[in-house]
Amino acid sequence: MKLRILIADDHELVRRGLAALLLSHEGWEVCGDAKDGREAVDKARQLKPDVVILDVGMPNLNGLAATRQLMQHDPNVKVIVLTITDSDQVIREALDAGARGFVLKSDAARDLVTAVEAVQRNRMFFTPRVNDMVLAGFLDRRENGGTTESPKLPKLTPREREVIQLLAEGKSSKEVASLLNLSTKTAETHRSNIMRKLGIHSIRDLVVYAVKNDIIQVQVPSRTDPAQGPAA
Amino acid sequence: MNSSRLGDVRDNKKSMPVRILVVDDHPVVRHGIRTLLGRHADWEVVDEAEDGVEAVEKADRLRPDVVVLDLSMPRMNGLEACRLIRKNVPESEILIVTQHNSPQMMREAFKANAKGYVVKSDAGRDLVDAVDAVSQHKFFGHA
Repeated sequence: MKLRILIADDHELVRRGLAALLLSHEGWEVCGDAKDGREAVDKARQLKPDVVILDVGMPNLNGLAATRQLMQHDPNVKVIVLTITDSDQVIREALDAGARGFVLKSDAARDLVTAVEAVQRNRMFFTPRVNDMVLAGFLDRRENGGTTESPKLPKLTPREREVIQLLAEGKSSKEVASLLNLSTKTAETHRSNIMRKLGIHSIRDLVVYAVKNDIIQVQVPSRTDPAQGPAA
Repeated sequence: MNSSRLGDVRDNKKSMPVRILVVDDHPVVRHGIRTLLGRHADWEVVDEAEDGVEAVEKADRLRPDVVVLDLSMPRMNGLEACRLIRKNVPESEILIVTQHNSPQMMREAFKANAKGYVVKSDAGRDLVDAVDAVSQHKFFGHA
């Protein structure tokens, strides 16, 4: 029986590139694709894939929140997270959410097939650069007698994480309510609770929090990015 | 989004072979571009490059009809590469394929002598038409 894979990324070029990579492997099929985390969760419920490959930085519902929802619905599904960033926090959150694989987008052409093969055999896979970081973090904790805990973020519920992403993307409480099938009043209550828990008082601070904590990702211009300044 | 189409080639398909160089720093995106271009039987992706420096060098050597060129890349960005390729290989037309959905950036690209501009999120819809247009030395722009 073929291994059924669902791909989720907000860029069609990336979805097509990933599909081309995966379809070169005999015995695998791409059973569907999705352009954001919410669509990925819906499609996974319909299509019941064996493996889901999720970009972290997607609109509406990011890959980490989608991983949590996927695992809640089907703990046997194997999630591989794709990301442009290898920050400690994203790695930690991906693991906490139940991801079995972690691949940097820049390394995907080299590592994705190996990652899918690994999770197919019930193993975990990390891009080598990430693997070193995970191991270093593990050794740090051992050397410190297991006392070096990562800084604790205020505990947000899964629903609050969905709401904070949508608010940080610029959606109003009414739009949040509509997207999540809530009343506007409930969406506003979530918003108030989030702000109270985080100790913030404005949407601007909420956006800053969301960016700093990888709830939404923004493109950081590189030195050779022509958008950074006058035409290079 | 303001949209302006500078060239429309849907009714004017060309059947001559088109030799294409694909330039992007992400291999997965290059795969995606190849897959989309593979729809057209007469087109050949002659090579790939992962930054502007490599693009200029390969364009010099391969003299492709079309260079599909990303803007944000290490070592040398797409605008700089565009200027150099147009100077060194005037017969190669440049199609910028970028995440920057910005009329200002599109103007910069045309000032650098690009022939076409496609935003990555619209590539599924526009890439084939855009390559078709620029391969016939027609402008194509959406931003």
